[in-house]
Amino acid sequence: MTALVDSAEPRVQPAAGGAGRVRRIPGRRARSNLTAYLFLAPGFLLFLALIIYPMIKAFQMSFYDWNVVAGATSDFIGWTNYQQAYHDPVFWRALQNSALYMAFTVPPQIVLGLAVATLLNNKAPGRALFRVLFYLPVVTGWVVVSLLFQYLFADSGLVNWMLHDVTHLTGHDISWLSGRWTGMVAISSLGVWKGVGWSMMIFLAALQGVPKELLESAEVDGAGRWQRFRAVTLPAIWPAAVFVTVMLVIGGFNVFISVILVTNGGPADSTQVLLTYMYQQAFTNLNFGYGASIAVLLTVGVFVLSAIQLRMFRADPEVLA
Amino acid sequence: MARRRITRLLGLAAVAALALTAGCSSSSKSTSSKDTAAKPVTLTFWGTYGNGGNKAQTDALSQSIIPAFEKANPNIKINYVDIPYDSLLQKLTTSAAGGELPDLVRSDIGWVPKFAALKVFAQLDGKLASFSTLSADNYPGSLATNKWGEHYYGLPLDTNTRVLISNTTALKSAGIDAPPATFDELKADAPKLAAKKISVFADGGLQGWNVYPWIWSAGGAVTSPDLTKASGYLDSPASVTGVQLLVDLYKQGAIPNLIIGNKGAVQTSDGLPKANYATILDGPWMAAIWQGQYPRFTPTYSQVPAGPGGSISVVGGEDINLTTASKNPDAAMKFLEFTQSSDYQLAMAKTGQMSVVKSLDSQEASTVPAFAPYIKQLQTAKPRPSVPQAPAIDTVLQNELTKAFQGKESVQDALTKAASEIDPLLTATK
Repeated sequence: MTALVDSAEPRVQPAAGGAGRVRRIPGRRARSNLTAYLFLAPGFLLFLALIIYPMIKAFQMSFYDWNVVAGATSDFIGWTNYQQAYHDPVFWRALQNSALYMAFTVPPQIVLGLAVATLLNNKAPGRALFRVLFYLPVVTGWVVVSLLFQYLFADSGLVNWMLHDVTHLTGHDISWLSGRWTGMVAISSLGVWKGVGWSMMIFLAALQGVPKELLESAEVDGAGRWQRFRAVTLPAIWPAAVFVTVMLVIGGFNVFISVILVTNGGPADSTQVLLTYMYQQAFTNLNFGYGASIAVLLTVGVFVLSAIQLRMFRADPEVLA
Repeated sequence: MARRRITRLLGLAAVAALALTAGCSSSSKSTSSKDTAAKPVTLTFWGTYGNGGNKAQTDALSQSIIPAFEKANPNIKINYVDIPYDSLLQKLTTSAAGGELPDLVRSDIGWVPKFAALKVFAQLDGKLASFSTLSADNYPGSLATNKWGEHYYGLPLDTNTRVLISNTTALKSAGIDAPPATFDELKADAPKLAAKKISVFADGGLQGWNVYPWIWSAGGAVTSPDLTKASGYLDSPASVTGVQLLVDLYKQGAIPNLIIGNKGAVQTSDGLPKANYATILDGPWMAAIWQGQYPRFTPTYSQVPAGPGGSISVVGGEDINLTTASKNPDAAMKFLEFTQSSDYQLAMAKTGQMSVVKSLDSQEASTVPAFAPYIKQLQTAKPRPSVPQAPAIDTVLQNELTKAFQGKESVQDALTKAASEIDPLLTATK
């Protein structure tokens, strides 16, 4: 960081010398800046209106006993909604389930995504076809695949048929969606299946950027396949791996559509995750203040988690190298 | 030069974007007009008649009922908007937040107190001149669902209840001649059907709609008569008996875990015709669904199995409500009055919606003979507590009773806990 600042300073000084040029440059710069701002304006306005404003509004709502009707007054109740969350066992279970979903889905997506990307990075027949096939679940709608998985994991669904009737791995049909753990397994396997293609795509792009000379010279030096992967490939794709991890963790905490469609948080709130619980509070019970406080807590949690991850991963490439 | 043109274009684009967003907020107010008598007005009416692809009801509405009303009232046009049942509550909520409500809503009877408390639905008694005459001819159980505090915020539109629907082929395969008419017969039938791998009874949840018939038929109660207390009623010995009956059957494997909310189990609408289940409790809309999907299945209708308290079912249905946002309340009230007429009620009855008007009773029974078991069951059926927190009460019941079914708690403990959680919800004012 300091090196950057030092080298930048001398460049600033000559500009202060020539008075005539100085006056003209800001004018031109201002105009080119204006162009840039105008380019940014539509997107930024949309961002303000559709992201920032609702966020501020949700934060405000979380301190109120919010009356949803337009123009109606709402009572300010301070931290009451947050206290309610603290004492609410379902909130904690939903938080646990969100964390569980993240733990069940993020590592497999990274490992499988990287494995598939490595395999498909080799020149092999049908490579393009496989890339498309692995990416297909990513572009398929959540609603479609959620309903599909609900059928797969139904009591008389394909999964039970495979496990019980065909392979006899289980002695009886498992009622997947009627329990917390089996329900989370069904939802998580959907998450992994749908997400592998995405991490594969990012890793594939990163693998294209691994310097071939380095791999070749490592091979000449006698490095085996695994050593080459660990010492050359992994450090080169590290930024992509960090990106994938951070995005998957955020995505994992934001799981919603699959849960609401496959189990709807049930039976008896046992598979509730934070977003489905928030949705239930807001749109079924019309308790918007409490729903908003859950949303705020989720945002803070995800923010902290992302900051920790970025800090943790920053030093690692050197350690690995 | 080129750059300046681009800059100008971008500037125009930004202005256009601003104008667009501004346009969104002002367009809503353009429809207002006070003088209803002179200018023709259009009323927007939201409903869920077409739920599940039920074209018979939307066709009746748009092809005969609404045209008849518009002919009699040339200055009023009705714009009926059909909304899927599952999204109407959410759409109403978000529309209330955005101030974009229709004039009239056909809402589930369970939602009226909530929207009345939120001042989304308008008070009718004292505002609609014919209210007392019209409401006097409604079934009291249906009318009560419109009451919040001391006033009424709607009129009943259609009613229904749950009766026992059986698959007689399934029953006969286990040597049973007739659907179970009592708690004891239900208990006795369970092992015979289990031997044939058929569940004696199935249901899709543990909410009030599902369990109240068993509690009431057992002689129990849900709340105090003034709807202020569940403790001492929901957890009374008689109420426990009703739920215990189901829990015992569940533990024997005679009721599938669909009842605790297993979304992977076979639904009642499929399980009954496929003979996975011998009996279910359901409403008059099922006949049309089975006619389409299982044309060879002949359902048998009978009364809810009777317990010590008799055979008592739960009242369902829809109300019609005027929103406070309506710009043309006078015109809307004309349509409200029209919904109580025989033109509306009997035309809808033919498509599967039971009438709420007492004086049309015999006409309805002769027009739609299939309603007979429902009309009989409705004579003793009771409404669920009509309070704003009704959805939260259902969540409490579903969650606490699931624990009893899973064997984590006794039925008595689960109901006592549920009652103590429901007490404050009954008296909540919003």
